[in-house]
Amino acid sequence: MRMTTTRAGQGRKIIKWVVATVFLVLVLPLVPYVFDAYANKSPEPASSSSVPSPGAELWRAVRQRDGIVSGTTQARGVDAGTLINPAGEEWRDYRISKLIPYSAYIFGAVLAVFLIYYLVRGRIRIKDGRSGVLIPRFTLFARWVHWVGAVTFMILAFTGLVLLYGKWVLIPILGPEGFGVTASVGKWLHDVTSPLFIVALIFMIFTFLKESLINFKVDGMWFLRAGGYLGGKHPSAEKVNAGQKLWYWAVALGGLAIVASGLVMYFPNFEQGRQLIQDSHMIHTLASVFVISFMIVHIYLASFGVEGALECMTTGYCDSNWAKEHHDLWYEEMEKEGKVGATFEEQRVAAATASAKPSEG
Amino acid sequence: MAAMKFYCDAERCIECNGCVTACKNENEVPWGVNRRRVVTIKDGEPGERSLSVACMHCSDAPCAAVCPVDCFYTTDDGIVLHDKDICIGCGYCFYACPFGAPQFPSDGAFASRGKMDKCTFCAGGPLEDNSSEEYRKYGANRIAEGKLPACAEMCATKALLAGDSDMVSDIYRKRVVNRASAALGSGYQQRQTNFGPKGGMSGKVTN
Repeated sequence: MRMTTTRAGQGRKIIKWVVATVFLVLVLPLVPYVFDAYANKSPEPASSSSVPSPGAELWRAVRQRDGIVSGTTQARGVDAGTLINPAGEEWRDYRISKLIPYSAYIFGAVLAVFLIYYLVRGRIRIKDGRSGVLIPRFTLFARWVHWVGAVTFMILAFTGLVLLYGKWVLIPILGPEGFGVTASVGKWLHDVTSPLFIVALIFMIFTFLKESLINFKVDGMWFLRAGGYLGGKHPSAEKVNAGQKLWYWAVALGGLAIVASGLVMYFPNFEQGRQLIQDSHMIHTLASVFVISFMIVHIYLASFGVEGALECMTTGYCDSNWAKEHHDLWYEEMEKEGKVGATFEEQRVAAATASAKPSEG
Repeated sequence: MAAMKFYCDAERCIECNGCVTACKNENEVPWGVNRRRVVTIKDGEPGERSLSVACMHCSDAPCAAVCPVDCFYTTDDGIVLHDKDICIGCGYCFYACPFGAPQFPSDGAFASRGKMDKCTFCAGGPLEDNSSEEYRKYGANRIAEGKLPACAEMCATKALLAGDSDMVSDIYRKRVVNRASAALGSGYQQRQTNFGPKGGMSGKVTN
């Protein structure tokens, strides 16, 4: 009994030693690491703390990483305190890789669609031929407003497009010196014509407002039938059809956007910053591309595309058969008022006698 | 091929505007045109630094990219110049330039822009070198005379460096190395880096 206990005690002793040795061999070497980890809870790399990097913070500010920082400077000028303008590269990207190619695709697509349409369908003739009976459609005042607006807008659009595409289209033909003169004249024309256009735009907005108010029932149906291009029969239309109303609102709203953004760029004497000018340029160009593409549609349909349309804006009169076909609701109205076959002179006389009669009686 | 570059050492610039004055004097720039300007960041606060900035003569110049009349060209020395006979004063280069280098003298109603004017690296323009017409339109042509731009030559603290990009970066690299080694320690160690008082110029890095 006693022997066994001694033996067992020796066995335990051996186990204790083995465990202790294993413990020492395995765990003790780890002590320095633990100590190190606790001792250097927040280690400061010697190099980074003692070598300040004066550049880092400065260049962050210079590169405008945390928003536009304006420094102080003795120079008097627009944005003179800004060392680096990060928006410049965005504007370059917008103009060179987005505006110029995509606007060209849009204009090209619109032109191609109408060219194909013209080749396939040809000119839309008046179905029943001309009746020879005229209806007064646009007054002399309305025609003047239309043509002053049209001519000024065409000049502005053309000179604007020269500035946009000239580098790729005209410089290879005229050479840089020759194009310099063209662009110079173009810029001058753009500058002088724009005030005229502003006046014309305001007059256009008021002159054609009444007939361009949207009548959802008639105009909705016109759109559903795509203006008669789908479904054969010409849909009903008032004095102007829904497509023309859309054109009116494109000119009115697009024109106002063009004018407002153009005015920002027109007066550098107010020393507006580059950011504002860049934003204005973006609005100006987007609205212009939109209105010019619409203008191509309008010019085509109002001249080559539809027989009897152009004379409304030149002579002021339209043929009664044309009116019946394209603007049936307006024709009925004119017929009711007895204006079919009348002239502006007769209308004026009739209006004068009508207003004079009560005073006589 | 050499590429001419400016570099302004922010650790050395003391905002004396000597470069601006030198530029105006050398090129007789019109009123309202600042070909070069000194901008101070954190003025009056700790960490204040000044930088002299002008046209940086970019390799891929945004001004040239957006110019609608293509009046910019790069010389064999990598200097970006423009032709005032072609320029129409549209202002596009001013919008695109990151450094605000293109300047416009006001010309006519509503301060509308005249022909653009900017730093030429004192290399004149496309006209005959050092002709009176070139001087009138573009200012001095010191490069044609074998000189560097007046602003950098005038800089009292040698903060503004101009010249071939390899040489400019070499000078600046040496400065950075010296500064870093100086900042590693202080006192005795700093003296070791040739910045402290030490007899003679031998062993001292040239800048």
